[in-house]
Amino acid sequence: MKLTPKVFSVFLLPALVYYLTMVILPIGLSFYTALFDWNGIGQATFIGLGNFKELLFNDPLFWQTVKRNLLFALFSMAEIPFAFLLAALIARFFRRGQRIVAAYFLPVILSAVVVGQLWQAIYHPLSRGGLLNQILVLLHLDSLTRAWLSDPNVAMYALYFVALWQYLGYHVLIQYTGIQNIPHTLQEAAIIDGANTWQIMRHIVFPLNIPFFKISLILAFIGSLQAFELIMVTTGGGPAEATEVMSTYMYNQSFLNLHYGYGSAIASFLVMFSLLATFVLNTVFASLEKRYDIGG
Amino acid sequence: MHSRPQPNLGKWFITIFIIFPLLITQLYPLLWLLLYSLKNNDEILSGGIFSLPSYPRWENYVIAIQNGHYLQYLFNSLIVTFSSIMILLFFASSVSYVLSRFRFRFSQHIFLLFLAGMMLPMQSALLPLNLMFKNLHLLDTRWSLIFTYSAFAMPISVLILTNFMRSIPRELEEAAIIDGAGPIRLFTSIIFPISRPAMMTVSILAFISAWNEYIIAATFISSKSLKTLPFGAYSFVSQYAVNYGAIGAYLILAALPMILIYVFLSEWIMRGMLEGAVKG
Repeated sequence: MKLTPKVFSVFLLPALVYYLTMVILPIGLSFYTALFDWNGIGQATFIGLGNFKELLFNDPLFWQTVKRNLLFALFSMAEIPFAFLLAALIARFFRRGQRIVAAYFLPVILSAVVVGQLWQAIYHPLSRGGLLNQILVLLHLDSLTRAWLSDPNVAMYALYFVALWQYLGYHVLIQYTGIQNIPHTLQEAAIIDGANTWQIMRHIVFPLNIPFFKISLILAFIGSLQAFELIMVTTGGGPAEATEVMSTYMYNQSFLNLHYGYGSAIASFLVMFSLLATFVLNTVFASLEKRYDIGG
Repeated sequence: MHSRPQPNLGKWFITIFIIFPLLITQLYPLLWLLLYSLKNNDEILSGGIFSLPSYPRWENYVIAIQNGHYLQYLFNSLIVTFSSIMILLFFASSVSYVLSRFRFRFSQHIFLLFLAGMMLPMQSALLPLNLMFKNLHLLDTRWSLIFTYSAFAMPISVLILTNFMRSIPRELEEAAIIDGAGPIRLFTSIIFPISRPAMMTVSILAFISAWNEYIIAATFISSKSLKTLPFGAYSFVSQYAVNYGAIGAYLILAALPMILIYVFLSEWIMRGMLEGAVKG
């Protein structure tokens, strides 16, 4: 149908204006604010790309946060083969696998506050009744007990683990769905032709499951950027900035130190980083899918 | 992979050594929290990872509900979440209707503009939104949350709804057009009702993200009476730092609505989250 002015102004215009003001405009403002030296109250001084220069060339802490974000993404992605294996076993051995998957999925829908505080209690030192330390004592590994979230050497790893714990079920669900989508006839034909389990995996399940690996990978990557809330409700970036990632650094610079311009520079970097990463992931998978000749 | 399940040794082995132990690691922390919430400090600190409370200390729940203003925050969360979903459905369905049914010059660009929104991290908009709401005197009101949640749920919703509406056969509308129905009638009496399954998916995704959201609420809201449940739970935890049992009780109460919904709607929720991941 042709778009009439009436349809345009009733259906399209209000929603578009709403979206542009609430989403696109603020992101644009981030880039603009990043050009100023501003504490939010006094006069803002235009300093061009000064904040970006400082951020990229003069702030070792920032590159630490980038590294932690990348590690976070890496760990989340490393979980995918594991989830795939688990999903394959569930699909192979259970008629009502969906129910087992549903149990694995439960932590995914809990809020970061609940998950974060639950794990904070688990990680508590012995003197505060932490579950993990109690288990270590039970196993006579007393030397390993510690205050997991206040030890700068392990706090970040303790948080990576929480995210892996929470999102395992999401990847199991995605991989399980992918495996269920593969037509049975293909595998039955392969069995008749004398293929073994490994060959079926290698030549049928794996290539046909590529779109689902892609979904899991993108999710793992986006999820690692959203670890923001988990960190804010547990360590807030501490102890001694040991668990600071890009987004928490942006938050603390903007809202705690009131470096609005500098915080906005980090926010802008985060936007470009996300766009670039999505682009790279999509390009890699486009070539993979082409190689195996399947539409993504 | 999917030959019919055979009851053999392999199944028992895998069940006992892989699937159930993992299930326990996934769910045990929640059970532990439940036990924790029914103990007093002495029982919690004296340890024992499987120990039951000598008797359930329901007073932890009384403290959480009364001193922690649980019902007030639950009510706030309900209002904010449902208003966001309403606004979201209103805007997202109307945009999707136009994008799926009308030909015009920039339709592809507008669709891409919404797609791009999915890759924008919401955190990056936190400071500018904070300043915008402050200037509009909307900071520390429910609107600041409702607007933010509904707007940032638009990209995925427009994508899901547009794809769904494109798949609706046009024959249905052609009959109505012959009967003289205009674009608004077509939308309200054909497209909107048929799109209910996709609306359900969109609502589930928006519900989960708005219901669980913490950082925006903690940034925009300062009045005690307007806090949402995650924010309220967090405040309670910081305030009652040494009353472990009551903290456990509050966390259980905070998780409870979502768990109840999951018990009844797990199929829908999993399908919705799956679709959200696929489209994302």
